[in-house]
Amino acid sequence: MIGSVPGLRDVGRALGVALIAAVLAVPAARAQNAGTDADAFAPVEEYARKVEEFTKNAPNLQKKIEEGTKSIDALADAAKARDELEQLRGVVADLLGRVSDNGELSKLGAKALDNARNKLKALEADTRFKPEERQLLVDQWKELIRQTARAAEDLDKARAEFAELIRTLQTREDFIDELLQIKRAAEAIKVMRQLTSDLREASEKLKTLIGGIRPPGA
Amino acid sequence: MRAAIGLVGVTLAAVALSGCENKDGNGFVQIKAVPASVVTPPAFYLDSVKLDPLKKGEAVLSRRVGTTKLQVEAPGGNMFPLCEIVVKKNRITTVTVSMIERPPRCQCTHSASPSAPNRTCIG
Repeated sequence: MIGSVPGLRDVGRALGVALIAAVLAVPAARAQNAGTDADAFAPVEEYARKVEEFTKNAPNLQKKIEEGTKSIDALADAAKARDELEQLRGVVADLLGRVSDNGELSKLGAKALDNARNKLKALEADTRFKPEERQLLVDQWKELIRQTARAAEDLDKARAEFAELIRTLQTREDFIDELLQIKRAAEAIKVMRQLTSDLREASEKLKTLIGGIRPPGA
Repeated sequence: MRAAIGLVGVTLAAVALSGCENKDGNGFVQIKAVPASVVTPPAFYLDSVKLDPLKKGEAVLSRRVGTTKLQVEAPGGNMFPLCEIVVKKNRITTVTVSMIERPPRCQCTHSASPSAPNRTCIG
């Protein structure tokens, strides 16, 4: 019996420690939750910034395509023109790299959408606010999600166009190489002229496509 | 003094890291799973890297120049190699994966060897 007194004390002490820990944990969890909520907008904001950066840089591609095609059209030397084509492919590859499925933009987009959808779910279940206040926030987040998803879809289309452009360039280059191997430089030049015309068309298409991309929240 | 040593250390680390940059550049791998409407496509891997689920049955991935192995996760968690993909600088290698076959099968747009079509795709 005497031996059980310290045991009870131990239990009491343990309960006290657990109670204090629980009391301390509640505000900590709240703070963490508030932090998550507050952070939900940050990925959307970062994604919007990166999308804007991409759309601002993309016109350089049109300029480079324009300059490259002009230069190719003016060249009579098939080998030199072939080198110009390779440089153009490098420019397109740079942009494709930015919008590739494992690129920074795609990852940011997925993260932004995930966070925004979680935030929306949390708000819909939140009872802190008046119904009309909650509805206001829910509507704003729904709109943000819609805009983020649209930007991601537009970038998907841009990725498909860049991939197609790079494929056209590389297969035409391969064909030109084959022609040059069998000393058919005149035919190679003809193929390049046709290609420059196709490239201008593709460039116009991309201009419209990229010009239509709107970062979320814009 | 300590700050100066720290700064020198950081600079040296940055120089060392920049030396590790990919000198050969990157190319692209395009994976097309057909039909795209497969309800639960298996998880694809490029070497040991698991890919995110394909969007509309397709993905264009930036990849370091070299040869990479396309694999799927077989039931039981084992890897099943489908084909090899040669990635060249600033070029795209397209591989179509037929999902109606068991196991899925690669169809190369351009095969590295005519004697072994669809074993190694090249861009």
